[in-house]
Amino acid sequence: MFLDRLLNQGNAPLLEQWLQFTEARERLLAEDVANVSTPHYQQKDLSLAQFQSALRERMNLRDSSPPGAVRFEDISMDVQSPRHNLMFHDGNNRSMEQLMTDQAKNALMHTLAVELLRQQYSVMEMALRERVS
Amino acid sequence: MFDILDTGASGLMAQRIRLDTIAGNIANINTTRDADGKNDPYRRRFVVLAPGRADDPSLPGVHVQQVGIDPSPLIRRYEPGNPEADKEGYVSYPNIDLSIEYVNALEASRAYEANVTIMDTAKSMFTSSLRLLA
Repeated sequence: MFLDRLLNQGNAPLLEQWLQFTEARERLLAEDVANVSTPHYQQKDLSLAQFQSALRERMNLRDSSPPGAVRFEDISMDVQSPRHNLMFHDGNNRSMEQLMTDQAKNALMHTLAVELLRQQYSVMEMALRERVS
Repeated sequence: MFDILDTGASGLMAQRIRLDTIAGNIANINTTRDADGKNDPYRRRFVVLAPGRADDPSLPGVHVQQVGIDPSPLIRRYEPGNPEADKEGYVSYPNIDLSIEYVNALEASRAYEANVTIMDTAKSMFTSSLRLLA
Protein backbone atom coordinates (compact mmCIF):
# COMPACT_ATOMS: atom_id res chain seq x y z
CA MET A 1 0.00 0.00 0.00
CA PHE A 2 2.75 2.41 1.03
CA LEU A 3 4.93 1.39 -1.92
CA ASP A 4 1.99 1.71 -4.28
CA ARG A 5 1.31 5.26 -3.05
CA LEU A 6 5.01 6.11 -3.17
CA LEU A 7 5.33 5.01 -6.80
CA ASN A 8 2.05 6.60 -7.89
CA GLN A 9 2.55 10.04 -6.45
CA GLY A 10 3.52 13.11 -8.44
CA ASN A 11 3.81 12.86 -12.17
CA ALA A 12 5.35 9.36 -12.36
CA PRO A 13 2.14 7.50 -13.44
CA LEU A 14 1.40 10.22 -15.96
CA LEU A 15 4.88 9.97 -17.45
CA GLU A 16 4.66 6.16 -17.56
CA GLN A 17 1.47 6.42 -19.59
CA TRP A 18 3.20 8.93 -21.84
CA LEU A 19 6.00 6.43 -22.46
CA GLN A 20 3.49 3.70 -23.30
CA PHE A 21 1.73 6.06 -25.70
CA THR A 22 4.94 7.00 -27.52
CA GLU A 23 5.95 3.34 -27.77
CA ALA A 24 2.56 2.31 -29.17
CA ARG A 25 2.63 5.21 -31.63
CA GLU A 26 6.15 4.30 -32.77
CA ARG A 27 4.90 0.79 -33.59
CA LEU A 28 2.17 2.21 -35.81
CA LEU A 29 4.55 4.66 -37.48
CA ALA A 30 6.99 1.82 -38.21
CA GLU A 31 4.17 -0.18 -39.82
CA ASP A 32 3.11 2.86 -41.88
CA VAL A 33 6.66 3.40 -43.17
CA ALA A 34 7.09 -0.31 -43.95
CA ASN A 35 3.85 -0.17 -46.00
CA VAL A 36 4.56 3.09 -47.80
CA SER A 37 4.48 1.29 -51.17
CA THR A 38 1.70 -1.21 -50.41
CA PRO A 39 -1.41 -0.76 -52.57
CA HIS A 40 -4.65 0.08 -50.72
CA TYR A 41 -2.88 0.43 -47.37
CA GLN A 42 -4.39 3.10 -45.10
CA GLN A 43 -2.05 4.77 -42.63
CA LYS A 44 -2.66 4.22 -38.92
CA ASP A 45 -1.96 6.62 -36.08
CA LEU A 46 -2.87 7.48 -32.49
CA SER A 47 -4.26 10.94 -31.86
CA LEU A 48 -1.88 12.98 -29.71
CA ALA A 49 -4.59 15.59 -29.02
CA GLN A 50 -7.02 12.94 -27.74
CA PHE A 51 -4.35 11.38 -25.55
CA GLN A 52 -3.41 14.74 -24.02
CA SER A 53 -7.09 15.49 -23.43
CA ALA A 54 -7.62 12.11 -21.73
CA LEU A 55 -4.54 12.65 -19.53
CA ARG A 56 -5.67 16.13 -18.57
CA GLU A 57 -9.12 14.87 -17.58
CA ARG A 58 -7.60 12.10 -15.46
CA MET A 59 -5.23 14.59 -13.78
CA ASN A 60 -8.09 16.95 -12.93
CA LEU A 61 -10.01 14.00 -11.52
CA ARG A 62 -7.01 12.94 -9.42
CA ASP A 63 -6.59 16.44 -8.01
CA SER A 64 -10.16 16.37 -6.71
CA SER A 65 -10.05 12.76 -5.42
CA PRO A 66 -8.44 11.03 -2.41
CA PRO A 67 -4.80 9.89 -2.93
CA GLY A 68 -4.56 6.62 -4.87
CA ALA A 69 -8.22 6.66 -5.92
CA VAL A 70 -7.57 7.57 -9.54
CA ARG A 71 -5.36 5.39 -11.77
CA PHE A 72 -3.85 6.14 -15.15
CA GLU A 73 -3.25 2.61 -16.46
CA ASP A 74 -6.70 2.21 -18.03
CA ILE A 75 -6.34 5.11 -20.49
CA SER A 76 -6.82 3.54 -23.92
CA MET A 77 -6.67 5.00 -27.41
CA ASP A 78 -8.27 3.94 -30.68
CA VAL A 79 -6.16 3.52 -33.81
CA GLN A 80 -7.21 6.08 -36.42
CA SER A 81 -6.52 6.67 -40.09
CA PRO A 82 -5.55 10.25 -41.01
CA ARG A 83 -8.23 11.72 -43.26
CA HIS A 84 -6.38 14.77 -44.55
CA ASN A 85 -3.82 12.84 -46.62
CA LEU A 86 -3.88 12.73 -50.39
CA MET A 87 -5.07 9.40 -51.85
CA PHE A 88 -2.69 8.05 -54.49
CA HIS A 89 -3.64 6.03 -57.56
CA ASP A 90 -2.72 2.75 -55.83
CA GLY A 91 -5.20 3.41 -53.00
CA ASN A 92 -2.48 4.23 -50.47
CA ASN A 93 -2.84 7.48 -48.52
CA ARG A 94 0.86 7.75 -47.68
CA SER A 95 2.51 11.00 -46.62
CA MET A 96 6.21 10.36 -46.15
CA GLU A 97 6.89 13.90 -44.92
CA GLN A 98 4.18 13.65 -42.27
CA LEU A 99 5.38 10.19 -41.19
CA MET A 100 9.01 11.24 -40.74
CA THR A 101 7.98 14.44 -38.92
CA ASP A 102 5.68 12.48 -36.60
CA GLN A 103 8.31 9.88 -35.80
CA ALA A 104 10.90 12.60 -35.01
CA LYS A 105 8.44 14.40 -32.71
CA ASN A 106 7.41 11.11 -31.11
CA ALA A 107 11.05 10.23 -30.38
CA LEU A 108 11.65 13.64 -28.81
CA MET A 109 8.55 13.31 -26.61
CA HIS A 110 9.69 9.84 -25.55
CA THR A 111 13.16 11.13 -24.62
CA LEU A 112 11.64 14.04 -22.68
CA ALA A 113 9.31 11.72 -20.74
CA VAL A 114 12.22 9.39 -19.92
CA GLU A 115 14.31 12.28 -18.60
CA LEU A 116 11.49 13.63 -16.44
CA LEU A 117 10.72 10.14 -15.09
CA ARG A 118 14.40 9.51 -14.37
CA GLN A 119 14.50 12.71 -12.32
CA GLN A 120 11.40 11.60 -10.38
CA TYR A 121 12.98 8.22 -9.59
CA SER A 122 16.26 9.92 -8.69
CA VAL A 123 14.50 12.14 -6.12
CA MET A 124 12.77 9.04 -4.63
CA GLU A 125 16.11 7.24 -4.48
CA MET A 126 17.76 10.17 -2.69
CA ALA A 127 14.94 10.20 -0.15
CA LEU A 128 15.29 6.44 0.43
CA ARG A 129 19.06 6.65 0.83
CA GLU A 130 18.67 9.74 3.07
CA ARG A 131 21.48 11.32 1.12
CA VAL A 132 21.67 14.08 -1.45
CA SER A 133 24.06 13.10 -4.24
CA MET B 1 9.88 -2.22 -28.58
CA PHE B 2 11.83 -4.96 -30.35
CA ASP B 3 8.94 -5.73 -32.67
CA ILE B 4 9.36 -2.24 -34.16
CA LEU B 5 12.76 -3.42 -35.44
CA ASP B 6 11.12 -6.48 -37.01
CA THR B 7 8.55 -4.26 -38.72
CA GLY B 8 11.31 -2.02 -40.07
CA ALA B 9 13.31 -5.03 -41.21
CA SER B 10 10.32 -6.34 -43.19
CA GLY B 11 10.15 -2.94 -44.91
CA LEU B 12 13.86 -3.06 -45.73
CA MET B 13 13.50 -6.54 -47.21
CA ALA B 14 10.47 -5.61 -49.31
CA GLN B 15 12.14 -2.50 -50.74
CA ARG B 16 15.36 -4.40 -51.45
CA ILE B 17 13.46 -7.07 -53.40
CA ARG B 18 11.69 -4.26 -55.25
CA LEU B 19 15.03 -2.70 -56.12
CA ASP B 20 16.41 -6.08 -57.24
CA THR B 21 13.43 -6.45 -59.58
CA ILE B 22 13.98 -2.97 -60.99
CA ALA B 23 17.68 -3.75 -61.49
CA GLY B 24 16.72 -6.90 -63.38
CA ASN B 25 14.38 -4.90 -65.61
CA ILE B 26 17.06 -2.33 -66.43
CA ALA B 27 19.68 -5.00 -67.06
CA ASN B 28 17.35 -6.75 -69.53
CA ILE B 29 16.07 -3.67 -71.31
CA ASN B 30 17.36 -4.93 -74.65
CA THR B 31 17.03 -8.70 -74.10
CA THR B 32 15.17 -10.23 -77.06
CA ARG B 33 15.89 -13.91 -76.43
CA ASP B 34 15.09 -16.21 -73.52
CA ALA B 35 17.52 -18.48 -71.62
CA ASP B 36 17.15 -21.21 -74.32
CA GLY B 37 18.05 -18.78 -77.12
CA LYS B 38 14.52 -18.64 -78.53
CA ASN B 39 13.06 -15.35 -79.78
CA ASP B 40 11.07 -14.42 -76.65
CA PRO B 41 11.72 -10.86 -75.43
CA TYR B 42 12.08 -10.23 -71.70
CA ARG B 43 8.93 -8.91 -70.04
CA ARG B 44 8.98 -6.30 -67.30
CA ARG B 45 8.66 -7.66 -63.74
CA PHE B 46 6.98 -5.86 -60.86
CA VAL B 47 6.50 -6.68 -57.18
CA VAL B 48 3.15 -6.78 -55.41
CA LEU B 49 3.42 -5.78 -51.77
CA ALA B 50 0.94 -6.75 -49.07
CA PRO B 51 0.63 -5.75 -45.39
CA GLY B 52 1.81 -8.16 -42.71
CA ARG B 53 4.99 -10.20 -42.39
CA ALA B 54 5.82 -13.08 -44.70
CA ASP B 55 5.84 -15.64 -41.87
CA ASP B 56 2.74 -14.22 -40.14
CA PRO B 57 0.52 -11.77 -42.04
CA SER B 58 -1.29 -10.82 -38.82
CA LEU B 59 1.88 -9.13 -37.47
CA PRO B 60 2.60 -5.51 -38.49
CA GLY B 61 4.96 -5.17 -41.44
CA VAL B 62 5.04 -5.73 -45.18
CA HIS B 63 5.98 -8.59 -47.49
CA VAL B 64 6.29 -9.32 -51.19
CA GLN B 65 3.15 -11.22 -52.14
CA GLN B 66 4.29 -12.00 -55.67
CA VAL B 67 6.62 -10.92 -58.44
CA GLY B 68 4.33 -10.39 -61.41
CA ILE B 69 4.98 -10.13 -65.13
CA ASP B 70 3.75 -6.99 -66.85
CA PRO B 71 1.31 -8.05 -69.60
CA SER B 72 1.46 -4.70 -71.46
CA PRO B 73 2.46 -4.88 -75.15
CA LEU B 74 6.10 -5.20 -76.15
CA ILE B 75 7.85 -2.26 -77.82
CA ARG B 76 8.12 -2.76 -81.57
CA ARG B 77 10.78 -0.97 -83.57
CA TYR B 78 11.18 -0.98 -87.32
CA GLU B 79 14.60 -2.57 -87.99
CA PRO B 80 14.35 -4.56 -91.26
CA GLY B 81 18.08 -5.37 -91.31
CA ASN B 82 18.02 -6.94 -87.85
CA PRO B 83 18.15 -10.77 -87.85
CA GLU B 84 15.56 -10.70 -85.04
CA ALA B 85 13.06 -8.83 -87.26
CA ASP B 86 9.73 -10.45 -88.20
CA LYS B 87 8.22 -10.63 -91.72
CA GLU B 88 7.20 -6.96 -91.56
CA GLY B 89 10.66 -5.84 -90.44
CA TYR B 90 9.76 -5.12 -86.82
CA VAL B 91 11.80 -6.24 -83.82
CA SER B 92 10.00 -6.72 -80.47
CA TYR B 93 11.82 -5.33 -77.43
CA PRO B 94 11.01 -5.62 -73.71
CA ASN B 95 8.15 -3.44 -72.44
CA ILE B 96 10.49 -1.49 -70.15
CA ASP B 97 10.59 2.31 -69.89
CA LEU B 98 13.89 3.45 -68.39
CA SER B 99 12.51 6.66 -66.91
CA ILE B 100 9.74 4.76 -65.10
CA GLU B 101 12.28 2.27 -63.72
CA TYR B 102 14.53 5.13 -62.53
CA VAL B 103 11.67 6.82 -60.69
CA ASN B 104 10.59 3.50 -59.13
CA ALA B 105 14.20 2.86 -58.07
CA LEU B 106 14.38 6.32 -56.49
CA GLU B 107 11.12 5.70 -54.62
CA ALA B 108 12.32 2.29 -53.39
CA SER B 109 15.60 3.83 -52.27
CA ARG B 110 13.85 6.59 -50.31
CA ALA B 111 11.47 4.08 -48.70
CA TYR B 112 14.51 1.96 -47.72
CA GLU B 113 16.13 5.01 -46.08
CA ALA B 114 12.89 5.84 -44.26
CA ASN B 115 12.76 2.31 -42.80
CA VAL B 116 16.39 2.64 -41.65
CA THR B 117 15.51 5.95 -39.95
CA ILE B 118 12.56 4.36 -38.16
CA MET B 119 14.80 1.54 -36.87
CA ASP B 120 17.45 4.03 -35.72
CA THR B 121 14.81 6.05 -33.90
CA ALA B 122 13.40 2.94 -32.21
CA LYS B 123 16.92 1.96 -31.09
CA SER B 124 17.59 5.39 -29.59
CA MET B 125 14.18 5.39 -27.83
CA PHE B 126 14.99 1.99 -26.34
CA THR B 127 18.45 3.18 -25.27
CA SER B 128 17.01 6.26 -23.60
CA SER B 129 14.43 4.06 -21.80
CA LEU B 130 17.27 1.90 -20.46
CA ARG B 131 18.64 4.99 -18.71
CA LEU B 132 15.71 4.69 -16.30
CA LEU B 133 17.58 1.75 -14.81
CA ALA B 134 20.84 3.66 -14.47
